[in-house]
Amino acid sequence: MLAAIREVQIPLLAAMLLGACLGKLSHVLRARSVDVALGPTALFPLRLRRPVAMAMCAAEMSLGVALIGTAGTAGKGLPATIVRGATIVLFLTATGALIELRGRRPDVGCGCFGDLSSTPVRLRTIARSALLALAAIGSVAVPPVHLPPPGSALVLRLGLLAAELALIAALSPEIGEALSRLGYSEPCELRVVPVGRTLSALRGSRQWRKHARLVTTDRPVDVWRELCWRYLVYPGRYGGREVEVVFAVYLRPRRPAVRAAVVDAATGDLLPPITGRPSPAAPGQPARPLPPHPVGLWPAIGARTAAGPHPATAAGQARAPSAEDEPQFLPAATAADASAAPSSLYSLLALSSPARRQPDKHQEAHERHIA
Amino acid sequence: MLLDGRAVGGRRPAARAAAPEAGPPGAAGGLPDPGRIARRGALKAAVFGLPRLPGQPPAAEAAAAGRVPRAVTGRVLDVSPHVLVIENGEAEERFALTADARAWRGDRTDPATVKPGDHAVVRRHHSGREVADRIWANIGRVTGMITAREGDTLVVDRGGGTDRQILVIACRAAGRIQVRFPRLRPGYLVDIIGVRRDGYLEGLVPATSQPAYRADHVPSPALVSGRVPGSISGAAVWHEPADEPDGLLGICYPAIDPPHTAPPGRAGQRAASGCVSLPYLSAGSRLRVRNDCTGRCLDLPVIGPAPAARLFCDRSVVCGPSPRGRIADLTVAGFVELGGELDEGNFNATIEIEG
Repeated sequence: MLAAIREVQIPLLAAMLLGACLGKLSHVLRARSVDVALGPTALFPLRLRRPVAMAMCAAEMSLGVALIGTAGTAGKGLPATIVRGATIVLFLTATGALIELRGRRPDVGCGCFGDLSSTPVRLRTIARSALLALAAIGSVAVPPVHLPPPGSALVLRLGLLAAELALIAALSPEIGEALSRLGYSEPCELRVVPVGRTLSALRGSRQWRKHARLVTTDRPVDVWRELCWRYLVYPGRYGGREVEVVFAVYLRPRRPAVRAAVVDAATGDLLPPITGRPSPAAPGQPARPLPPHPVGLWPAIGARTAAGPHPATAAGQARAPSAEDEPQFLPAATAADASAAPSSLYSLLALSSPARRQPDKHQEAHERHIA
Repeated sequence: MLLDGRAVGGRRPAARAAAPEAGPPGAAGGLPDPGRIARRGALKAAVFGLPRLPGQPPAAEAAAAGRVPRAVTGRVLDVSPHVLVIENGEAEERFALTADARAWRGDRTDPATVKPGDHAVVRRHHSGREVADRIWANIGRVTGMITAREGDTLVVDRGGGTDRQILVIACRAAGRIQVRFPRLRPGYLVDIIGVRRDGYLEGLVPATSQPAYRADHVPSPALVSGRVPGSISGAAVWHEPADEPDGLLGICYPAIDPPHTAPPGRAGQRAASGCVSLPYLSAGSRLRVRNDCTGRCLDLPVIGPAPAARLFCDRSVVCGPSPRGRIADLTVAGFVELGGELDEGNFNATIEIEG
């Protein structure tokens, strides 16, 4: 059993050394600079960092190859002992360097496997290095390694190898990063979507067809984005008053969800939703009678605020008003002066208040009955 | 000489800072209309049928709750061993100086060394309205990419089309800065705190360690699968005000939606968004920012982009190493209100998008 444990250390150490070197090389090639090498090189003066990074990578590569080359009968004796002794020195030095790095640069990752190793050095990273140093000590004086015949000896060695790899994986912060890269799909919050694409999606939507007759210009007067939604504001006319037609377009490639609302441009009040098919005979006319203009009729904002939001709006249902509950307009919370000077941006911004986070998943959008 | 005729003020021009988030198609100029930005919250609430109450600025909320803002900015009118008088806009504010009060004027020092005429940021003591806890006099900061160097004078581009800044490395701090910023040459990044002089910043304190990469080789952010987490941790920093009013509580955000920037490839391809994955937002969005070291929390509006913040992949180590990357570039008042020390330059922070 002990002999089997010592035998599996050699391929494992070789794999770790070669993997570390390839990880660093990959990072350097992608960044096109040796300067990006992370880890203990940060402890060296600037002029030494590049040669130290190159020497580390070369040492790992040559020791990995040499461990494999001296594992069999060809390198038995002194060559194998020298290579394994050098491996011990490398891992003991690395352990000491990681301890030093953790004390002096707690913000720097170990850089063991290139940019996968950007997590700050913690005890488990140091433990991994110490474990590999122990493995290297165990590999000294191991007789030439041969592939065992199929059977219990092979199974035992494979089992030991798997168990040790699992232990190393548990000590490796790189595993989480590597797994997330393998199964990556970009969230919509991070996706770059040009406005032109959003405009095309909007123009093909049912909400646009429903509200197009209110819109008076081809171009939106404001466009902004929050998370997975892009908002477009168009000026328009509705029942003889100036309105703003607001569209929210979900940022997905095909058939995005689109929402719309019509807001009084002067007061900021939400007007009843447009329903039914557009009537070519009466362009610009509302589909149903408008409620009285709220200015001068409805309680002041403060009074409405004190009474709390209207139950209908609180339920998130912008429905047509009845005679009893017509004053369901959203308060004109930001009666912004559109002619304000740019320097007043900050005071105007400070007047905006938080709104509940909008549904940002398509499933969530369906749950909220988004058209 | 780099200083001749090219020196610019320390206050960052906000109008240019907001330029990357250009106005809507067809709008004249590149700056969104402030009135429009202020309406965004109400329009978003309308389109989702959400209730929306009239808002108040955070400072007003604090006042309504019987609290006073902790950060006071203004010109020092008078200072004595026990009293500091600040001209804050139209008003004068007097602060008692206790034995615990500390000041910064190029270095941590006694409050008595603050001089009349200094531009000071005062943090009130948590126990009293008129007691000063910390005073930072003439503090400034330059963050960005070096574009030119002549001797100890650097020209620094803060990105986003903002004016370039002049940074002069003070002789007495050259060694300390060289240790943390060994590559003071064009193409590399600097982030240095110092004393604001007429037209330049006298660099005294390195705010971080210099990234090993050039400004045009910023590492890619860690990949995020599924959806972006509701709260994101990293480092919060502060910036010098431009035409921002004193006492403004706000945040410049590194991932402002670039509506008019053509994507690097097909739609959906990742943008070069710096080394931390932040969801896209716009001016007027609101974030909850928490100082993980003090536990203080504030809801702040996004007031513009933070192009320099996305270039840095550093961590804050004020209370243990934070995750990599800068997630918030706060106004001075916001930073101080959250319990940050301006001369330290950053703190461990967590942001949540209002929801």
